[in-house]
Amino acid sequence: MQDHVQLSQTKINDDLLAGVLGMPKWWLPTVVFLVLVIFTGLGAYGYELNKGLGVSGLNRPVFWGFYITNFVFWIGISHAGIMISAILRLTQAEWRRPVTRAAEVMTIFALMAALSNIMFHVGRPWRLFWVYPYDFSRGIFMNIRSPFVWDPSAVMTYLIGSSLFVYVALIPDIAVVRDKATGRFAPKIYGVLCLGWRGTPRQWRLQAIAGILLSALVLPVFVSVHSIVSWDFAVAIGVEGWHSTIFAPYFIIGAIHSGVSAVAMIMALAVWLWKLDKYLRPDHFDAIGRLLIVVALTWFFFFFVEWIFALYTLEGPELALREFQVFQAPNKWLFLAFLLTAFFIPVPMWMFKRVRRSPMLMFLSTILVNVGMWLERFLIIIPGLARRQPLSFDWGTYNPSIIEILIVLETFAFVALGMLLFAKFFPIIPIFDMKEGMEVREEIKIGRRVVPASIRETP
Amino acid sequence: MASHTDNGEYVEGMYVPFTSPSEVVNDLVNNHAKVSDMWLRGVVAASILLVLGIIGFVMNVVEGVSDRAVWAYYALMFSFILTTASAAPMVAIATRMANAHWRRPISRVAELWSAAGLFSLLLFIPMLWILPPLNDGRRSLWFYDVNDAFFSRVPIYSPHIWMSAAILALVALGVVLLWLSAMPDLALMREHSTGWRQKWAARLSKGWIGSTGQWNMLHHRMGIVGAFYFMMLVFVHFLVSTDFLMVLVPGWIDSLYPLTHAANSLQAGVATVILTMFFLRKFGGYEDYITLDQFWALSKLLFALSLLWFWFWFSSFNVFWYGKKPSEQAVLGYLMTGAYQPAFMAGFVLSFLTPMWFMMWNRVRKSFWGPAVMSVSVLVGTFFDKLRYYVPAWSVNDVGIVQKIGEPGAAHELALDNLPKVNMPGVADVFIVLGVIGGAVLFYLLASRLIPPINIWEQKELVLYKFHKAYHRTEVMVLGKPR
Repeated sequence: MQDHVQLSQTKINDDLLAGVLGMPKWWLPTVVFLVLVIFTGLGAYGYELNKGLGVSGLNRPVFWGFYITNFVFWIGISHAGIMISAILRLTQAEWRRPVTRAAEVMTIFALMAALSNIMFHVGRPWRLFWVYPYDFSRGIFMNIRSPFVWDPSAVMTYLIGSSLFVYVALIPDIAVVRDKATGRFAPKIYGVLCLGWRGTPRQWRLQAIAGILLSALVLPVFVSVHSIVSWDFAVAIGVEGWHSTIFAPYFIIGAIHSGVSAVAMIMALAVWLWKLDKYLRPDHFDAIGRLLIVVALTWFFFFFVEWIFALYTLEGPELALREFQVFQAPNKWLFLAFLLTAFFIPVPMWMFKRVRRSPMLMFLSTILVNVGMWLERFLIIIPGLARRQPLSFDWGTYNPSIIEILIVLETFAFVALGMLLFAKFFPIIPIFDMKEGMEVREEIKIGRRVVPASIRETP
Repeated sequence: MASHTDNGEYVEGMYVPFTSPSEVVNDLVNNHAKVSDMWLRGVVAASILLVLGIIGFVMNVVEGVSDRAVWAYYALMFSFILTTASAAPMVAIATRMANAHWRRPISRVAELWSAAGLFSLLLFIPMLWILPPLNDGRRSLWFYDVNDAFFSRVPIYSPHIWMSAAILALVALGVVLLWLSAMPDLALMREHSTGWRQKWAARLSKGWIGSTGQWNMLHHRMGIVGAFYFMMLVFVHFLVSTDFLMVLVPGWIDSLYPLTHAANSLQAGVATVILTMFFLRKFGGYEDYITLDQFWALSKLLFALSLLWFWFWFSSFNVFWYGKKPSEQAVLGYLMTGAYQPAFMAGFVLSFLTPMWFMMWNRVRKSFWGPAVMSVSVLVGTFFDKLRYYVPAWSVNDVGIVQKIGEPGAAHELALDNLPKVNMPGVADVFIVLGVIGGAVLFYLLASRLIPPINIWEQKELVLYKFHKAYHRTEVMVLGKPR
């Protein structure tokens, strides 16, 4: 980090606790607005529960629509936390420090949003318990060969693992809030939550070991979650375009693409809303921009290979599906928008250092990526189902109803509200990590040049 | 005496670190000027193996090129060298991009394998004759269709043309990368050597004087060439695994396999570098440079890549196995559970289970022998894994199948009903296997005489960028991050 600002520990406490101990003017109106959107979405869901799935646009032969698209999208976003936090932590990348907490928290709320989509989709959510083997007295066991049993198992494991991951990294900061909080209840609640943290060497050692262990353990879970989501599609041979071996890594790299983009968006928002520009420097945006170039190119290569192999088969039904995706309206417009927003506009933008160092341009370009990646999931799921099949008597275009649209909007509002509420009660940038970053920073003078350096433990 | 610490040496039992770049230069230039007995023995042994390989090759040529099955083991070895030697420079490229300081003593160790890339180019030439053109009925990536007015215009030698261009570009990029990274060291050799070594270094160092502009340009060029090398490596694996492998088996349509092929090469490339490091440390006199740091760091990478190997393999297997499509079940039966099952099991155990089980323990990773033994396991596993793909695929003789059916797409729906008999290696095949390994090692050994196997300028930089200092009640390491 070349444009580093050295700050005192008191200054870090003051800056990063400003949102927790005080309340910015914009916070309450934003929360009220988001709550309204959520209630509207929940109202729509209540209506769907009362009337049945017929009020959605789902109908023969498209039984997977907006909800499943949205489920896959949020699962994708949830991969950002682990990508940024666990991998960068294990590789000791210094620029990770101000970014990790927001990414990890986004993982949790995105996973909750993803799970809620399944509930919206199934129509009769009171039967969800059938996927869990809790009641052996039923005399039957859940069908463990079904991808729909793999999904909840993997997602719930990931949710538990990610929550632990966030909590372990949060403990030292909760202790700081405990010491600064005023009032009757706040110090007591934070005191319970920080598990008696005093910052002894033993506590620091245990916290560091737990963080590294969780980073390593949660990585396979992170890979398994989206692999399993992809196999929901890929193991089926009945729908053209789905039965492809590349789906698991292709979904994962797509998830990382959208997830890391979402983290860049949140970084830009943190700079504007909480005025954290001393902590999120242009160098941080530059680093995440470079990472995004690598991720986007890798994702595009997977996309290219997936398409090449679809065409290489020269099988009539597969070619017909690809034609339906690319050349027939409305899919052709969506496909064009997807390519432009997910790759062809943002990636050339990121090639310029000026763009990478600008929070505004990074915000705009990464929003585009997430629009594109949502469309990508839509184009994977819907055209395959909507295309005319042999022996089918019904086919056509899928039109999402207003109910589905409201419910999808609710999930976005839910994640945004979750992030805002979290930032109200806990620091969104890890205080202890920032202080450590200031402490381990060094400079070496070599000839006439001063080179930035960092202190590491001797192996 | 062996040192497990940073650059330096033991003098009368005491560790004395190199304190100045000039000490590093003197030590490494002097070491490179010496011709050790072990190097000579290595050259003789590799030459003998190469001669055996040439004999095996001539025996195959006598058989002709019409029967592809005869050349199955040759194709396997071409792929093996592409997977191991050609991927080894990626260790230098990736770690240099990540600015990892531990790479400095081993970046040249990895880049020198680019020299073996020249050997892979030689190996590739006969393969152009063995595989038929597209109008002979073979499937390919290039959408050739004799019945279609538009697609019949696709050049019938498209696989040959594109693969030749790609592998030529890969080898050229590898050699250019090696040359670029060696340029400052060649300038040092120009200043500190005599005789042919000085002349050779003077010619290749291209007037290097180490000006700021030259250094900036060098880093810039190395970054660009490295990035292109990686892209070209992935592209070559993509072409080899499809046009020279997958298309030969009817019904084998695995969109992930080209990436599995490439990921496997990264794993095998790391294993190749670890093994080379082990030999250079043990017999090359570089124990003060190649330390535990390098083995520890690379073994973590090897562990991660072994897990990646499993994930890619399982992703393909699961989709095929669960889908229960007859054509895909036949492919699984042929390549995995049928007559080639022992090769599959060997590949699975040695490439994944063994490294995963042993390398999860820090004690194994943080040692000299542990990563070296695991690298042997991965390389042998890679050999068997490639064997169970290449040998059966090259033993399927389906030339003309498309014309018989009349519809190109239908060929992919064919199941492998009549499985070819198991292709066991003959004397010529054994000679070729040994010869190709010997040839690649020989190219490496010869290149190591021309260019120092330890990167001198990066090692000098390390002396400046890395040091230890007291910190409160302990000692810490300070690492400079110049870029």
